Amino acid sequence: MRFTPTQLGDAELELQREVRAFLAQELPPGSHQPGLGMSARADRAFSAKMAERGWVGMSLPKQWGGSDRSAVDRFIVVEEMLRWGAPVGHHWVADRQTGNVILKFGTDEQRKRFLPAICRGELGFSIGMSEPDSGSDLASVSMRAERGDGGWIVNGTKIWTSGAHQNDWFICLLRTHPLEEGGSKHQGLSQMLVDLNSPGLDIGPIPFLNGEHHFNEVAFTDVFVPDENVVGEPGMGWNQNTAEMAYERGGPDRWLSPFSTVEQLLREVEGTEMEQRACELFGELTARWWALRNLSLSVARLIDEGEAPSVESALVKEMGTRFELEVIEKLVEFVDEELTPDADSLFHRLLAECVLTGPGNTIRGGTIEILRSVAAKGLEGLPA
Amino acid sequence: MNTVDPLITDTASRFFADTCTHDAIQRAEDMGGAPALWAAFAQTGFPWVSLPQECGGSGGTLVDALEILRLVGYYAAPVPAAETGMLGGWLLSQADLALPEGIVTVVPGNTRDTIALNTDGSVSGVAHMVPWGRSAEQLVFLDDQQVVSVNVTDAEVQPHPSLAGEPRDTLVFNRAPAQVGAAPDSVNAISFRLRGALSRVALMAGAIEKMSQLTVTYTNERHQFGRPVAKFQAVQQHLVWAAQDAALTRMAAEVAGLGAQDGDAAFEIASAKLVANQAATRATKAAHQAHGAMGMTQEYPLHHYSRRLWTWRSEYGGVQEWARWVGDLAVGQGADGLYPLIASGSSSG
Ligand SMILES: Cc1cc2nc3c(=O)[nH]c(=O)nc-3n(C[C@H](O)[C@H](O)[C@H](O)COP(=O)(O)OP(=O)(O)OC[C@H]3O[C@@H](n4cnc5c(N)ncnc54)[C@H](O)[C@@H]3O)c2cc1C
Repeated sequence: MRFTPTQLGDAELELQREVRAFLAQELPPGSHQPGLGMSARADRAFSAKMAERGWVGMSLPKQWGGSDRSAVDRFIVVEEMLRWGAPVGHHWVADRQTGNVILKFGTDEQRKRFLPAICRGELGFSIGMSEPDSGSDLASVSMRAERGDGGWIVNGTKIWTSGAHQNDWFICLLRTHPLEEGGSKHQGLSQMLVDLNSPGLDIGPIPFLNGEHHFNEVAFTDVFVPDENVVGEPGMGWNQNTAEMAYERGGPDRWLSPFSTVEQLLREVEGTEMEQRACELFGELTARWWALRNLSLSVARLIDEGEAPSVESALVKEMGTRFELEVIEKLVEFVDEELTPDADSLFHRLLAECVLTGPGNTIRGGTIEILRSVAAKGLEGLPA
Repeated sequence: MNTVDPLITDTASRFFADTCTHDAIQRAEDMGGAPALWAAFAQTGFPWVSLPQECGGSGGTLVDALEILRLVGYYAAPVPAAETGMLGGWLLSQADLALPEGIVTVVPGNTRDTIALNTDGSVSGVAHMVPWGRSAEQLVFLDDQQVVSVNVTDAEVQPHPSLAGEPRDTLVFNRAPAQVGAAPDSVNAISFRLRGALSRVALMAGAIEKMSQLTVTYTNERHQFGRPVAKFQAVQQHLVWAAQDAALTRMAAEVAGLGAQDGDAAFEIASAKLVANQAATRATKAAHQAHGAMGMTQEYPLHHYSRRLWTWRSEYGGVQEWARWVGDLAVGQGADGLYPLIASGSSSG
């Protein structure tokens, strides 16, 4: 395991300038309510504008509508969007993972159907992994698909599905082959693309602790999924799903969520007597973000060099999401007064949202406890 | 990007692995120095890497010198490499003063220090916490824009140990003869403090990494309840956290070192020292917890690293000093400049 320092080259810095200019134009600071990282709003028009510039699905091949850009280029676009609190919710999942899964495991026909539309920022995807009885132990999913005419008949329930009420498609992990006596639960799973408008799908909100509608329960009753929507080899879904999870880890979305809140604090204390009091806090947070960003960037560089840095990604995600919670705690200590979600101060409103949604950061996409197990296995081979 | 010459990493690693055995490090602590080890280290020329050959240095870059310091930390080598090279040697060479053959040390800068250049050109006063003061040939410090060098034989030396048992002595001078040279503008109290901090960050990066590796090995060998303790998730948490802090500190040290090669890199060095100080606190806690009682013994090597880390984290600036420094920069940039500062550091706006 080695994280090697890397710097952005001229073309990469140029891209960073372009993205900043775009954001300054579209969302001048102070003009919009920033989102908290990847939990930002879904805005189809904004996604389309980004796509026009080639910034959605940018690492996908040109042949399928992408821009053949590197993981580092995507890192640059994503970090700027997230730190700005831009409304990237609509294309977020498709851009981060589903496009890659379809490229890697899908058929040419599937690539043609989905990838150009993803790269145009049109298709919003949800992730169908968790179920009521399967959280961390994902391989125990019990959603079942049985053979039908030209496809599969699916029954079961997915839960905690972010954005299912807004998105177009759903990529689900489910069981196509019954668990054999004494067989491995990792066998017999498959990934399917499900149209969220399919008959037999029932999408119901599960209100967040603060009443917001973020995630859902999605019940399947005899939902028909045609053969052409099965991704990869039926029965081999577990390995594909594991590969998919690797895209979820170690990127800027795992350490930038409270950034827009901290930036807004600085905006509000500038020139006041609070500024001096906040100085050491800004110093501490800035230094940590700087170091974490360098680690996270080096992971993107490793991916471009053809490596599969799964242990490094797990280490960064575990550390990054814990840091996000630490930031929120420090802000709360600094403010030291009552918070309300409808405060006059934008900083106070954002901090209230951070407090209420923060606990999810170290849970979603694999809890920090599970990530530690993944990372600890990778440390075993270290020299001493 | 300027990278380290791999030959340096190889040769220095081999040298330290051969010489810095557990017993050798312990003996250096008991005796308050390791003259034979130093003599062998001096033979390699490593202490003077990054100092110009015209002044008697070994040539090479600052990044090379920092790599050697990282390895000094990794092997807990009981040698004043930073003081002789990138700190004291640097001050001398910047003022066109000749490098002596022996150990050079510096006045790190303590609020109680009174050491100063007299109007007659001699030196009087007290310098505290001087690394390896008792073994040094010359003590070097900055007085305004002058680099001042005195012979340690002219001082009264009061020996004191650091938390790691390495010499941090008090040196008292009374009208001692001195050599004086003018320092260029770029050499001043601030740039010296930053350089001191950078030297500690490099040492800390090595020590945290070694400590993290020791902890992985130990917990995989130690069995309780019929299996290696590393299989317990509560222990894995310590392993993962220490490994993260090792990675974070090494990354911070390397990015700061690369920056310092081409500029003042004040933001990077200040941030790196702050991050390293906090990482040292967390990682020593995790490593000790995972070792149980064994880590509390002199016989087992963990303390060579943990005690050095507790020493280095307070030298050349603790958390508060650097938090204020970085905070001033961040606040100075303003809200719109905050992320550019994080992403581009000293080269931003
Ligand atoms: C905001 C948010 C959005 C989400 N969006 C989606 C989505 O769009 N699609 C989707 O499929 N899922 C989504 N999830 C679900 C998420 O993936 C799961 O919450 C996560 O995988 C953990 O599962 P669980 O909640 O069932 O917790 P459990 O697995 O029940 O875990 C409970 C606790 O036990 C610990 N634990 C469990 N097993 C172990 C073990 N082996 N070792 C140590 N500790 C263990 C966990 O770490 C946790 O602390 C979302 C979750 C959140 C919070």
